Amino acid sequence: MTPEELARAEERLRNPAPGSRIEAAQKFGIDLTLLIGQLRLTPAERAERMLEVCRIAESVRGAARRRRA
Amino acid sequence: MNPDTAVQVLVDADVEFVIIGGWSAIINGSRFMTDDLDICYSRKPENLRRLAQALAPYHPRLRGLPEGLPFIWDESTLRNGAVFTLVTDLGDIDLLGEVNGLGSFDEVRAGSYVTEAFGRTVRTLDLKSLIQAKRAAGRNKDLTVIPELESLLEAEEP
Repeated sequence: MTPEELARAEERLRNPAPGSRIEAAQKFGIDLTLLIGQLRLTPAERAERMLEVCRIAESVRGAARRRRA
Repeated sequence: MNPDTAVQVLVDADVEFVIIGGWSAIINGSRFMTDDLDICYSRKPENLRRLAQALAPYHPRLRGLPEGLPFIWDESTLRNGAVFTLVTDLGDIDLLGEVNGLGSFDEVRAGSYVTEAFGRTVRTLDLKSLIQAKRAAGRNKDLTVIPELESLLEAEEP
């Protein structure tokens, strides 16, 4: 995305137009501020961050399993 | 779970595939987590051979197959099926020869774009195709992510 496209996308997410799909998502419970953060990342950075989250979640699950055993 | 290594292995082996499902959603901006790597692969004979060879070192087995039941992972197994839900040393990997709502590999490829992810140049579904596939899959976990994908699509529209 160009800086102009990013600015436009951020504005749409910050102030959803009435009746828009963005507004519907907000009502559904989506935190649009998190999506703004995602848009600022490259696809590679998005994948990398989620990998980190998944690995932390996996290690927490592993620790919980070991405690139960 | 090592989807990054799995993707690297497939790209390095010249396997023709498109990342679909949860990781495609993440690459496109979704915040929903996923437990497995879903890919749609070309069913050309040469690609089946490459795919079989690339994953063989990671001991693929069908998920849910009772322990002790033999499962042979090779090109011939791939030729005789289209959908494989695998557990591997790299984590769970789902292989789909076609995708509901989109169609064959060529149609899936047409709804994809090239990007950098997992340390490689890969193909993944564009938002519009991803939404179509999620809607066609119709499971709760697919439908839940649609509002987020719809808002990303609308935010990025010209």
